[in-house]
Amino acid sequence: MKGWHVRDIIFVTILAIFMGTIFFVTGPLYTVLAAALAPAGLQPLANELLLGIWVMAGPLAGFIIRIPGSATLGEFLGAVVEMFFGGIWGASTLISGALQGIGSELGFALTGYKHYGWFTLALSSLTTAIVTFGWDMIKNGYASYHLGFMALLFVVRLLSIFFFGGVLTKLIANLLVRAHVLPSAAH
Amino acid sequence: MATVTIDSLTFTYPKRTHPVLDNLAVTFPAGKFSLLTGVSGGGKSTLLNLIAGLTPLPTPGAIRFDGHPLAEIPAAKHANTVAMMFQEPSTQFTMDTVENELRFALENQRMTATDIPAAIDDALNFVGIAQLKHRILMQLSGGEQQKVALAIIVAMNSDVILLDEPFASIDPPTRLTLLQKLMTLCTQQHKTVILADHDLSGYAPWVDHLAVLDSGHLALLSAEETQERFAAFTPDRLRLTRVTAPQATETACLQGTQLGLFSGDRELIHPQDLAFFAGQTTLITGPNGSGKSTLFRALVRLGHYQGTLTYQGRDIQKIARKSYARQVGLMFQSSMAQFLNVTLDEELTLSQKNGNHAYFTPERVTQLLDQLGLTQHRDQVIYSLSSGQQKKAQLLCMLIMAPQVLLLDEPLKGLDLASIQTTMQILTSVQQDLGLTLILISHQLSGLDGLVTHHLRLMDHHLLYEGATE
Amino acid sequence: MNPTLKLALVLIIALEISFTQVWTVNVALLVVCFILMIAYRVKLKRLLWLTLVPLFFATALVWSLSLQGSASSHFLIVIFTRMFVYVYMGGVFTQTTEPLMLTRSLEQNAKLPSKFAYGFLAAFNLLPKIRTEVATIRAAALMRGQVLHVWSPQLYFKVILVAMNWSDQLASAMASHGFVEGAPRTHAVTVPLPKWNWWVCGMSLVAVQLGLFWGLP
Repeated sequence: MKGWHVRDIIFVTILAIFMGTIFFVTGPLYTVLAAALAPAGLQPLANELLLGIWVMAGPLAGFIIRIPGSATLGEFLGAVVEMFFGGIWGASTLISGALQGIGSELGFALTGYKHYGWFTLALSSLTTAIVTFGWDMIKNGYASYHLGFMALLFVVRLLSIFFFGGVLTKLIANLLVRAHVLPSAAH
Repeated sequence: MATVTIDSLTFTYPKRTHPVLDNLAVTFPAGKFSLLTGVSGGGKSTLLNLIAGLTPLPTPGAIRFDGHPLAEIPAAKHANTVAMMFQEPSTQFTMDTVENELRFALENQRMTATDIPAAIDDALNFVGIAQLKHRILMQLSGGEQQKVALAIIVAMNSDVILLDEPFASIDPPTRLTLLQKLMTLCTQQHKTVILADHDLSGYAPWVDHLAVLDSGHLALLSAEETQERFAAFTPDRLRLTRVTAPQATETACLQGTQLGLFSGDRELIHPQDLAFFAGQTTLITGPNGSGKSTLFRALVRLGHYQGTLTYQGRDIQKIARKSYARQVGLMFQSSMAQFLNVTLDEELTLSQKNGNHAYFTPERVTQLLDQLGLTQHRDQVIYSLSSGQQKKAQLLCMLIMAPQVLLLDEPLKGLDLASIQTTMQILTSVQQDLGLTLILISHQLSGLDGLVTHHLRLMDHHLLYEGATE
Repeated sequence: MNPTLKLALVLIIALEISFTQVWTVNVALLVVCFILMIAYRVKLKRLLWLTLVPLFFATALVWSLSLQGSASSHFLIVIFTRMFVYVYMGGVFTQTTEPLMLTRSLEQNAKLPSKFAYGFLAAFNLLPKIRTEVATIRAAALMRGQVLHVWSPQLYFKVILVAMNWSDQLASAMASHGFVEGAPRTHAVTVPLPKWNWWVCGMSLVAVQLGLFWGLP
C-alpha cells in the first residue's frame, strides 16, 4: 500500500477545485429550485436533490487515488477551498466536508480498499447518505421532522448521492479505465 | 560548475516496444551552452526530465554530475546541482507571489532565514525584474513568468540549468533577455546550460554545442561543427504567391469594431476595426506572445475583448452558444483539448454524427484516414497516439464538423514533411468543395502556399493585411 | 491571533453549538462575531451578504421544520440562530486569515507535513486557470456538437485528465525548486504563537462552557 505523495495531494486538490467550479455552474438551478420549494416548506428538498454533485469529489478521489484516506481528503480539501473562496458557511463547511468525506471513505474501507466496482460505490453512497443525514439530524434539526417527510428527504438524498457518487462516478471510471489511466482492476 | 555525463542510457515509455532513447552516451561540458535539438516528440523532454531526476533512471548511475549520480547527492543539494525551466510557464510555481516562490525555493535548500531576503533581491536584480517582486504569479505574462523561473534558478545557484522549449509562447525581446542572462551565467559563473528547442533559428550567436537527438540516438557536435551546422541552416521562409489584399467585392463574415485585446493589464491589440472574409484562407503571423491565440479565443467567445465582434452582422454575444459553436469552430493548439472520447473511432463517430455528413460520407472518411496513415489506429486510445498522429486526427475531427468558419491554431505542429503535404492537400480540397472560411496561425511556413489567400500581420499591437494600406 | 489556534477555536465552538441547544449562547456569539467583523473592517457589502444568505436559508429551514415537523418554538430559535453563528464565525475567520498564513502556521505550529501544506497551495494558486479550463472544455465540446451537462461523464473525464496533467507538472516543478517530501526546511517567515493567544483561546472556551452549562435546560 503506497502512501501520499505530493503529486496525489495536488491532484486531489485540483480535482476538488474543478468539482467546486462545476458545482458553481449549478448555482442558478439551485436558487430557482430552492426559491420554488421554499414557500411550501420543502426547501431542504432542493439541498437533497443536488447534494450528490457536492459529494462527488469523495468517491472520485477514492476511486482514482487508491489510498486509504483519499476520499476523505478529496472531500475535505474541497471544503477548505470553498471556505477560502467566497463560501460563507465557514467552520461548518469544514465539519460537513470532513463528515461527507468520512461517509464516502467508509464504503471503500468496508471493502478493504481492494474492490473498485459497483458494489463499493453503492456501499459508499449508502454510507455517505447515512453519515451526512445523521449530521443534519443534529445540526439542522432534521430529527424533528415527521417520520414520513424525514424518510422522503433521506430517500431523495440517497438517490442523488447514488446517481452522482455511484452511477456517474462508475461511468467516469469506465472511461478512465478504457483510456488506460486507471487499472482495469477487480470489482 | 558541473559536467553532465550520460552513459549507456536507454529509456522506453511504459507499454511501448521501441526505446525513445537508445543507448545514449554523451558528455555535456561544464560552463558551456548546449542546444538540444530534434523533432517534436523525439524524446528531448524525456531526456531533460531524466537529467533533472524528475523521471527515475532505468539504471542508476546512467547520468552523473562531475562523476556523482544524483542519488548520491544529498536531497537538499539536488536543486543546487540541477534545476529546470519548463515549457508551460504557468504551471511551474507553488506559491502566490514572486517573492513567496523565491522564499519557498530557498527554504527548501535550508538557507538561513536571515540570508533569504538578500538572496531574493540579488536574483531578481540579476534578471532585471526587481519590480515584479510583489506581483501575483498567475497575473504575469508568460515571458515574465519565465524570467521569474530563471531568477529562482539563479537564487538556488544551480550548477546545471535545463530549459525545455522555454520560448514556445514568449515574445522576442524576452527571449533575447533570457538568452543574454543564460550566456552570462555560462561565461561568468560557469553554469552548464542545456536548452531543448526543435527550432534552430536565432541561436547561432549563443550556443557552444549543438546536441542532435535523432531516432533515439544523440550526437554532440564540436564547436566548429556546430557553427557549420548553423551556417548551413536556413530558417523556414514564407513564400506566398497567391496572397492578395482583400478586395472591395469580398464579404466580411467575422467583423470587429474597435476590437481591443488585453492579457491582464497588458495591451495585446490596440482597439482597431478588423474583418475576416468569407471563403478565404487567412494566415495570421506575428511574434510569439503577441496575442494571436488570444484573438482566436476571443473569436470563439472564450476570452474578454473590448469593442464588438459580429458574425454575419450579428453580435456574437447575442447568438446562442450552441448554434455559434457550430458555425465558428476552433482547432485548439493542444490536441488533447479537442477530444472528448477514448478511441479515435469514437471521436470520428461523434464528428460524423454531428457534422456535415452529406459531404463526409463513411467512404470519404475511410479514404481520408488512409491518406493520413491513421487507418490501423482506429481502435487505439487517442491519448496513446504520437503527437503527430493526434494532430492529424484532431484536424480530421474538426474538418468533418465543417463549421462555416474554422480557426486553426498551429495545425501543422509536430508533423513531418510528408504529413504536412498530405494535410495541406486535404485542407485545400475540403475548403474548395465546401467553401469554408479558414483562418490559421502557423509557425510552420513551408507548404502553406497553395492554400493561403490573405495574409494578416500582427505587429506593434496592430493587425494589417498584406498589400492593404491604412 | 495565530491562525491554527484560531481555526481550532472556531471548529470547537461550531461543534459544541451543533450538539447543544442554548439560543442565548448563539446570540452572544453572534454579537461577539459581529463586533469583531466591524473591528476588523469587514466590507459592508460582505457583511450584508453574510447576513442575507443565512437569513434566507435559516428562514426556509425553520419554515420547513414548522410545516413538516413537530419542533418546539425554542428549538426553532436555536436552529435559526445557529445558522447565523456558523456564517458569522466563518466570516470572522476567513476575513482575518490568509490561506498562505494558515498553511504556514499549520506547517510550523501544528507540524502538518509540508507536502500537504505546499501541495495544497500549489493547486490552490491554479484557481483562475481551473475556471478557464472548465469553460474551454465545454466550448470545445460544443464545437463538436456535444453539450456537456453536470451529469455528463465526459466532462469529468476531461477534467480528470487535465488535473492529472497539471499535478504532474506542478509536482515536477516543486521538485525542481528543491522541494523534497519529508525533508527539513527553514522558514523565511515564522508564524508567532505568543502566550496571550493561548489565554484568549482558553478564556473563550471557558466562557462558552459556562454559558452552555447555565443555559442548558
